[in-house]
Amino acid sequence: MNLAIETFGLSKTYGPVRAVDSVSLRVGRGEIYGFLGLNGAGKTTTIRALLGMIRPSAGTVKVLGQTVGPNGRGPWRSVGHMVERPSAYPELTVRENLEVARRLQGLSDRGAVSRALDRLGLAHDADRRAGALSTGNLQRLGLARALLHEPELLILDEPANGLDPAGVVEIRELLEGLAREKGVTVFMSSHILSEVDRLATRIGIIHQGRLIEELEAEQMEALRSRRLEIQARDLDGAKSALAGAGFAVKAGDNTIILTEARAIAAPDEVAALLVNAGTPPTRLVVKQEDLEAYFLRLTGEKK
Amino acid sequence: MNAFFAALWAEALKAFRSRVIGLSVAVVTILPLVDGLFMLILKNPERARQMGLIGAKAQLVAGTADWPSFFYVLVMTGIAGGILFDFLTVWVFGREFSERTAKELLALPTSRGTIVAAKFVLLAVWTQMLALWIFGWGLVIGNAVDIPGGSAHLNLVSFGIFMSVAFLNLLLVPWVAYVASLGRGYLPSMAWIFFTLASAQLLQVMGWGEWYPWAVPVLVGTIAGPQGGSIGVHSVVMILAASAAGLAVTFAWWRSADQSR
Repeated sequence: MNLAIETFGLSKTYGPVRAVDSVSLRVGRGEIYGFLGLNGAGKTTTIRALLGMIRPSAGTVKVLGQTVGPNGRGPWRSVGHMVERPSAYPELTVRENLEVARRLQGLSDRGAVSRALDRLGLAHDADRRAGALSTGNLQRLGLARALLHEPELLILDEPANGLDPAGVVEIRELLEGLAREKGVTVFMSSHILSEVDRLATRIGIIHQGRLIEELEAEQMEALRSRRLEIQARDLDGAKSALAGAGFAVKAGDNTIILTEARAIAAPDEVAALLVNAGTPPTRLVVKQEDLEAYFLRLTGEKK
Repeated sequence: MNAFFAALWAEALKAFRSRVIGLSVAVVTILPLVDGLFMLILKNPERARQMGLIGAKAQLVAGTADWPSFFYVLVMTGIAGGILFDFLTVWVFGREFSERTAKELLALPTSRGTIVAAKFVLLAVWTQMLALWIFGWGLVIGNAVDIPGGSAHLNLVSFGIFMSVAFLNLLLVPWVAYVASLGRGYLPSMAWIFFTLASAQLLQVMGWGEWYPWAVPVLVGTIAGPQGGSIGVHSVVMILAASAAGLAVTFAWWRSADQSR
């Protein structure tokens, strides 16, 4: 597998606190990797280690095939990044902030700044001082800086933070497009689980510094619990009919819940059974646990 | 080399877009004016008496109204200007942490060392330009006040002493840069500046000033004074060693320290 990111036994301790504990990540090229975790789970520490900003206490980090070592060595010409909340030089305009980034990236293409401004919808604010930007536009500036040099790999910490709903969709489509059309690898941490759910091709879940789950989006689909929810005018009659047919019936608020595979696989048969028993369903739906519920179940934050 | 000039351009742009350059020029423009005012008062004792306390203080500091006295006061102004150099260093390095922009400088094709070098070169150019401005503006003020006792030789010697003090002050800024980086902001480095000022005063009073790098600029400044003075090689070695060590720890810190904030 051609890997964009590979960590082996990555650990980072601060005194007695083990911020990251033996994390071994493998992110293939062209993937969109969603890195999930609660606040303080170790997401940002991992990202800082990937970018050579902190020295691992143990383990190794490879980015685009190159070992990220001390002294800031790494393939940074091919990596765009945004760590924690975006920052900019407040007295410089948006364009000047990007111009500084362009020069420090060693990018000779002067048009890169204008393209990044257009791509992130910042053209109208190009000559505004960064100190006067809204949080959302500051986030866009951070993303523009990360994309400025057309990197092969994007490492983004909470890229949707501070954006309005339209902005969230726009950035999702932008990242999807980059991965699909240009093969850009995206490694993004997020706590907006619905965003990760929609975007990521692989998901890693970090909890208390440990990578507790790493799976493909399809695997995720399979692992999430499903249930059949039924509503009927005669709820008690429906319960009796289902119990009589051998189903383990759970009752919610005005809803019957079936979790057995045979019910989820054949809701039509359940509907026929209820109709024949004289208690036809008014609503019958197979519901899948969302990523949020799965995440909370996995991390033990919600039983 | 291109990376260095790119970093220097970025540092210069940040400085020019801020108010700090304007403020620093304003401060050093005022200082020779104050010196000129002292000379004006000393030239006319009657007016000095009329002005009461200010006149008395002017006599205490400057003595007589002539070019040697004026240059001595100007050199003392240059020594005080060293504090301004320190404040500029605090701003150049500390702002990256207080505005949380340091993390944007760490994973780039332009190395961290290059960025730090660009910051120091900017400070060198900035502070020495300020020193030149103080001296040049001081000459204009001195001529405007029309004080006696000037000569081309005195101008040259005073210029040499003044710029030596400015350069020695510059040699001490790496430690300010290091503390601003280590402390990730303005406050620790401000505390450092006051510590070095106080310790330099104390050690000078105790007679150890020639061995203490932070007291050496003042010792050099006294050469321009009425009693004259001299500076030993050991003092120069001490300040050069302190400067080299300050540069080394600053570069090492930026290269290797954990940047977890």
